[in-house]
Amino acid sequence: MLKKTTFAAALLAATVLSGAASAKTFVYCSEGSPEGFDPGLYTAGTTFDAAAHTVYNRLLEFKKGTTETEPGLAESYTVSDDGLEYTFKLRPGVKYQTTEFFTPTRDFNADDVVFSFDRQLKADNPWNKYVTGASWEYAAGMGFPEVIKSVEKVDDLTVKITLTRKEAPFLANVAMPFASIVSKEYADKLQADGKMNQMNQMPLGTGPFAFVAYQQDAIIRYKANPDYWGGKQKIDDLVFAITPDASVRYQKLKAGECHLMPFPNAADVAAMKADTNLKVVEQEGLNVAYLAYNTTQAPFDKPEVRKALNQAINKQAIVDAVFQGAATPATNPIPPTMWSYNKAVEDDKYDPEASKKGLEAAGVKDLKMKVWAMPVSRPYMLNARRAAELIQSDFAKVGVTVEIVSYEWAEYLDKSKAKDRDGAVMLGWTGDNGDPDNFLDTLLGCDAVGGNNRAQWCNKEFDDLVTKAKETSDIAERTKLYEQAQVVFKKDAPWATIDHSLSIVPMRKGVEGFVQSPLGDFAFDGVDITE
Amino acid sequence: MSQAAATSAVSTDPSRRARLAEFWYYFSENRGAVIGLVFFIFLVLLAIFAPLIAPHDPTQQYRDAVLVPPVWQEGGRADFLLGTDAVGRDMLSRLVYGTQFSLFVGVIVTALSLVVGVVFGVIAGYFRGWVDTAIMRVMDIILAFPSLLLALVLVAILGPGLVNAMIAISLVYQPHFVRLARAAVMSEKTRDYVVAAKVAGAGHTRLMFKTILPNCMAPLIVQATLSFSSAILDAAALGFLGMGAQPPTPEWGTMLAEAREFIQSKWWVVTLPGVAILITVLAINLMGDGLRDALDPKLKRS
Repeated sequence: MLKKTTFAAALLAATVLSGAASAKTFVYCSEGSPEGFDPGLYTAGTTFDAAAHTVYNRLLEFKKGTTETEPGLAESYTVSDDGLEYTFKLRPGVKYQTTEFFTPTRDFNADDVVFSFDRQLKADNPWNKYVTGASWEYAAGMGFPEVIKSVEKVDDLTVKITLTRKEAPFLANVAMPFASIVSKEYADKLQADGKMNQMNQMPLGTGPFAFVAYQQDAIIRYKANPDYWGGKQKIDDLVFAITPDASVRYQKLKAGECHLMPFPNAADVAAMKADTNLKVVEQEGLNVAYLAYNTTQAPFDKPEVRKALNQAINKQAIVDAVFQGAATPATNPIPPTMWSYNKAVEDDKYDPEASKKGLEAAGVKDLKMKVWAMPVSRPYMLNARRAAELIQSDFAKVGVTVEIVSYEWAEYLDKSKAKDRDGAVMLGWTGDNGDPDNFLDTLLGCDAVGGNNRAQWCNKEFDDLVTKAKETSDIAERTKLYEQAQVVFKKDAPWATIDHSLSIVPMRKGVEGFVQSPLGDFAFDGVDITE
Repeated sequence: MSQAAATSAVSTDPSRRARLAEFWYYFSENRGAVIGLVFFIFLVLLAIFAPLIAPHDPTQQYRDAVLVPPVWQEGGRADFLLGTDAVGRDMLSRLVYGTQFSLFVGVIVTALSLVVGVVFGVIAGYFRGWVDTAIMRVMDIILAFPSLLLALVLVAILGPGLVNAMIAISLVYQPHFVRLARAAVMSEKTRDYVVAAKVAGAGHTRLMFKTILPNCMAPLIVQATLSFSSAILDAAALGFLGMGAQPPTPEWGTMLAEAREFIQSKWWVVTLPGVAILITVLAINLMGDGLRDALDPKLKRS
């Protein structure tokens, strides 16, 4: 294994060195190995970066740098008046990648789309359980098996998807990595050869880069797809050098061994910005971190008490100490980059005196409470224990004694769902598809009480607004409803909203055309190097 | 006659002073041991007088002084001699208070495992038979687990916290004391003075704890000092894994864990608690070596 790794490293060094002369090679120091290469089976961003954004396309794609959808493999679509039938017109003349392991004989067509969805939705599809131990987790999580009634081929370039109920976020869901379109021709051949597992090891799609080779925990190699429907990429080769440690990634970037890296240590960012060979781009991530009170337990059932506690938290101090400034204090439960973000909502200002008075007025004295802190680092909250310690000391100033508790991560997620949970729980959320429904209804709706709704907060007014918004397809009207919902949220304060973190991407000076995705994806189509 | 022999082993006769002098002679032969002892006494004083020595409250967060470097570095401030951590707490004060927790952990864990271990060990070694088998098999089972893993499991069951961590670690250390005590008792049991005491009518309890035990203490004392340092190390490890002391307790392992991300940029937050653990454990180990030299008759030069 050691030998293999050194060989891979030597190979990598060789390609980097020779790269300038002949072919342009772009090296990305990725943060981990992909779970596999079939994006439908997995949920990790690492897997999607390695498989979905390189090899595959989807019917609709997210427009670069936004959460809006644009045509992908579907040129256009129409929605029926009752909002239940979606008819996609497919792009003609789209070629599959020609690789060493497979030569396609036909273009992309409706059969591929039907196959791509059916294998995830139908238990009797031969591809439904082709990888032991893996399931179509994401599709299940987004409710696809219940929402989608059927996926039918109308003609070679038309597909009709029928839903069981109105679902406005559906179009955004179709653009998500798990809904990548795979080749039925390739699948049929693998099935005939009895090598179905290869689908998950050697992917083949219509995307900008074709898969070449993968060495576990070391390197993934791709080459630009010359037949790509969007035109051939400016770079010729794409390499993922797998480097799990953030400090090592930084060293490699400094040495010029890679062109771009994800997830730097917050503490290293200042040094990166000072380095003249590097540039650092920042963008507000599509996330929120919050402290959810248990609104069913006294005295946290009173909005006045929750409001008063919110005023005691110095969010700026948390942003400075935990993110070294790479985050913004949060006001609303959805991030500012998302459509329908209500700028008019005012945050509970940091004011310990007012907080103390508020608690007194609500008749709360000598309050003792628990604050739950996550045991792991998440993009929206790098160090929950540190944030909890800051909150502990902030609350002490207004006479509230805090005990910090923490559990193992899976247990933490599970235990914090309990309706009679003792204490306020710190948690956060990263958006899946850029739809506000994915935050507001998923995290705060009445249906989510005892589940994702960690505040156990069921407010009729709020719930009506978000349910109505979900069933409306007009964006302007939905925006209005969500804006109102945010006002109701702030008035009732089931959470202390803490922060929206920035996602920071350091890269070499010569990298051009990389657009940060608010969804946290790393996609390298359109990237060029001038070094 | 037999009575006299039995009591002389524990009594306060004048030879005791001579033996103490002999002990010191051998102990001071080992320079490292003396340095370890001096440093250990220094730590004990630091722990006792922490409130007087520490310049700040160890949990007070100075929000205007986050990550201030030590005083001799550029940007350092005179009121924070060793700098501050990520939430603006004084490093020096936290390290000084950390001594209390580390020594406390060492003392409690060692005392607990020593007392319980000796009781079980002596009983097993003295009675033999099924009692021995039962006790020793349980100890074998405990020994079969990697110690830190077992401690982690126990803490996971009991819930994280310093007290639970101490209970878990002392349970993990138990078998060493039980085995040592049992072996020593078995070899002492057949000696003439024990037989004599038995003939004179001494009961089981008296034979076990008054006659035999005092003659088995040397290896146990050495093991106790070594366990002392391991206990500090294990408590720090549990703290590092988030299962030991809970915030805002200034425990060294916890401090180390919370500062990991600064290893490349703010060295003092990571390095200082690590150094504190290192020199404390080193000092106690050196002291333990010296004790073994002095107490183990096989190592004595004649």
